[in-house]
Amino acid sequence: MNAEKNKQGLQGGEKKGKAGAPSPKILVFACRWCGGIGAGRAGWKRMDLPVSFRVIPVECAALVEPDAIFRALASGIDGVAVLGCHIGGCRYNEANHAALKRLELVKVLLDTAGIGGRRLLLAFGTAHEDHQFAEVIRNFHEFIGKEPSLKPWLGAGEDIFLRREE
Amino acid sequence: MAHTVVLLCRCFGEIDGVVDLDGIAGRLREQKQDMSVYLLDSLCQEDDGPKIETLLREEKAREVVAALCAGDRGYHPLRNALRKAGIGPSGHATVDLREGCAWVHRSDPAGATEKALDLVSMALAALAEKEPSRDVTTAVHPSCAILGAGPAGLAAAAALAGQGIHVHLLDRADRPGGMLNLISKIYPEDDDGKSRIDPFVREVEANERITFHPRSRVTAATGFAGNFRITAEGPDGPFRFRAGAVIIATGAGIFLPRGLYRYGELKEVITQIELERQWIRGTPEKKRFAFIQCVGARSSERPYCSTICCPSSLKNAMRVVAEVPGGEATVFHRDIMTPGSVLEEYYRRTMEKGVQFVRFREDDPPEILGEKAVEAVRVRDAGSGKEHVLPVETVVLSTPLVPNRDNGALSALFRVGLDSHGFFSETYPLHPLETRLDGIFIAGSARWPVSSEKAVEQGQGAAMKALALLGRDRISALSLSRTPEEKPGHGTVAENACTGCGNCVAVCPFEACALQERDGGRFVSRVNKMRCKACGSCVSVCPNGTMQIPEHNYRVTAAMIRRSFSA
Repeated sequence: MNAEKNKQGLQGGEKKGKAGAPSPKILVFACRWCGGIGAGRAGWKRMDLPVSFRVIPVECAALVEPDAIFRALASGIDGVAVLGCHIGGCRYNEANHAALKRLELVKVLLDTAGIGGRRLLLAFGTAHEDHQFAEVIRNFHEFIGKEPSLKPWLGAGEDIFLRREE
Repeated sequence: MAHTVVLLCRCFGEIDGVVDLDGIAGRLREQKQDMSVYLLDSLCQEDDGPKIETLLREEKAREVVAALCAGDRGYHPLRNALRKAGIGPSGHATVDLREGCAWVHRSDPAGATEKALDLVSMALAALAEKEPSRDVTTAVHPSCAILGAGPAGLAAAAALAGQGIHVHLLDRADRPGGMLNLISKIYPEDDDGKSRIDPFVREVEANERITFHPRSRVTAATGFAGNFRITAEGPDGPFRFRAGAVIIATGAGIFLPRGLYRYGELKEVITQIELERQWIRGTPEKKRFAFIQCVGARSSERPYCSTICCPSSLKNAMRVVAEVPGGEATVFHRDIMTPGSVLEEYYRRTMEKGVQFVRFREDDPPEILGEKAVEAVRVRDAGSGKEHVLPVETVVLSTPLVPNRDNGALSALFRVGLDSHGFFSETYPLHPLETRLDGIFIAGSARWPVSSEKAVEQGQGAAMKALALLGRDRISALSLSRTPEEKPGHGTVAENACTGCGNCVAVCPFEACALQERDGGRFVSRVNKMRCKACGSCVSVCPNGTMQIPEHNYRVTAAMIRRSFSA
């Protein structure tokens, strides 16, 4: 894998505006239904959002393993958001209820470890509401931007993470 | 090594007006040797499908990443092209560069371009780790279990039997008809109560494909779409049968207004159903009728409108004026709910026939006056604020339909949900008449209070939906999807690593996991692929990562996390 070239980002070619400004890194797991539809509608309305987030679509928020959140934070991502359907609105028979309880526990673990449970945002309610999605992203972006970077503590951890995947 | 094709959609400028797709194409081409990158104006127009198919065949593509819009319309031309070029669901990935990138980052095109490259890289990395789920097929039993022989169930039974499906029609009563057996006349045609269902009842009696089980209840249900195993209790004892689908049309109960408007205290205060019984016996003796609407409905305990009470009161009010010598009728209401053109005309006709209407406020309901019998109604008119006392002899209370007492037990039996009021819930709004479980449908007042006319419509609708399943010889687990695409895989266990802890069994919302014994007393989890809906709950609670959904396994997530921020 050309990991080196990937790290450089997009250089050369025609630039269309500012680039390279330091920005927090936010990973968003959005369920395909409320989460994804809310995100899509924010797009329809051309709402302006910070570029700091990347979305991993999942079928249901229940698929988000606690392990995935730890990996994300250990790899240099500053905040993780999980968007699912509102309570009572999951089409998988309340799988989101159990997921919410699990992820709340992950928050407790993050607090205990000193990483901060606040780095995990759980928004189970962005049901078709684009302004909600936009607000969640903007608020989290602002909040995570003020949080100290985890980089000094990543060090060897990042290498181990990469080696395991090769 | 699989040949990868990346399709970057310009979306006629909507995407490449913000995102530098040429730059991204350049970066991608540097990355991987065995990859071709194409920039296309669109992937969704009619002639795009064949174009893409040709392109993929020429490239001998094995994996495809399509970077385009969010795809609310289902990506049909693209999906058809992929299918025709022989690329399965685990061989392609889509990336939302429009709603998720270009459209929300117009103020930062460079940032948007970086993000777009990251998103495409994530999809490429995910594809490398995606694996296909093993599919299973099962034979579909060409029979349907219909619970409830009211208008909804009867209409469904007739519709299905007419298409060659065997129907097991169960009802608690000893004859079909449901609540219509209690009604004297139905609105708006003022026909005899049974006329609406007569053709269906005749079909049930005549058609050999329909087996009517009177005085029967379902006591157990296992299985899955195409192959449900139902156990029921009838007058001759328990009986079992198989059904490919189930339609729940058990109707609703009627709220008894004990303690409201002196019901139970004065015998001239009656409910609508009791009035229907009077009509069946003959013309009522009393002349002056008061109808009170929304009794126990549209309140904090029952914050819904029961749909049928206003038209029913109008029907009976008109009947009093027409059939009772010297009959008078006044309708006391908060609102008159008569939607549509037919019922609106019905409402106007009622006013023309001389029925009086008085509106009251929710917080100031009418009072029934009289010591030993009903003598008058005292009401404060909502418009004028003035109090009136109207002499009446009979007070008819319009009470709502409420969920059957059995609904809880039935919902637990079938594992279908109930809404917050206790009616069977459907996967609203995208899938009317369907429950969260494949192969189980709901119709009529079991789903929501409706008139018998609407119940018939829904029964037929549920029958058609059931037919989509029952009309096939075999179905595959992956085809049981509520979306145009296939199901995104199902839970898969690596048997040699499963510790038999049972977490997945406990957490599965569809009871699709079960522990099975193996040699040596080991227990391992087994997924019923027909019931699994790939929500991923089992994956999240598996202590050692044994349970995975192959199309989105942990390596996919890890790879996407790695590629998410290249800068």
